[in-house]
Amino acid sequence: MPASNSVYLSNPVVTVNSVALTGFCTAATLNRTNTAADTTVFGMTARVYQGTLEDNELTLSLYLTYAASETYATLAALVGTQTTVKLKPTSAANSATNPEFSLTNCYLETLPVMNAALGEIQSIDITFKGGTYAAAVV
Amino acid sequence: MAKLVIVSELVGTPGDEFHPEDGVNVEALIEGGFVKRSTAKSVKIDSNPETEE
Repeated sequence: MPASNSVYLSNPVVTVNSVALTGFCTAATLNRTNTAADTTVFGMTARVYQGTLEDNELTLSLYLTYAASETYATLAALVGTQTTVKLKPTSAANSATNPEFSLTNCYLETLPVMNAALGEIQSIDITFKGGTYAAAVV
Repeated sequence: MAKLVIVSELVGTPGDEFHPEDGVNVEALIEGGFVKRSTAKSVKIDSNPETEE
């Protein structure tokens, strides 16, 4: 029996540095992480952790095109800089059931400028590191 | 200060003014050709011109 609340992704929205890259994106994974610090002490029988800094990460799989105003043009100048990325499950308005996730001031460390094989459509995976996480519902 | 104008429809409606959100790298958008700085200056129209008679 299918889970009634599972999401079949067909039209998620992906925006990188205000550029809509939805039409080039095939996968997106946003991990919200709060790095744990071990605060276990003598006398405890189980490890105890305390939250410290957020260390978020977004990975996108994109078709790489070099045409004007497409993937490469969007990303080339972002390497080594901070930017803002947004994504949400569907193109509908932001809501509690369609939250728009964002990372503000996240960092693009690496851009594969070519990842091609004979006869294949070129695709790359890029990762935005860090940044302030938010989930907008309005 | 020059305003930013949208060039690519992937950013918005071409020709509209672009208002960057927090954290957006404007220089990267300009370099990529998505927006441009408008150098057009507004023209001040004198509503009460002096006339020679």
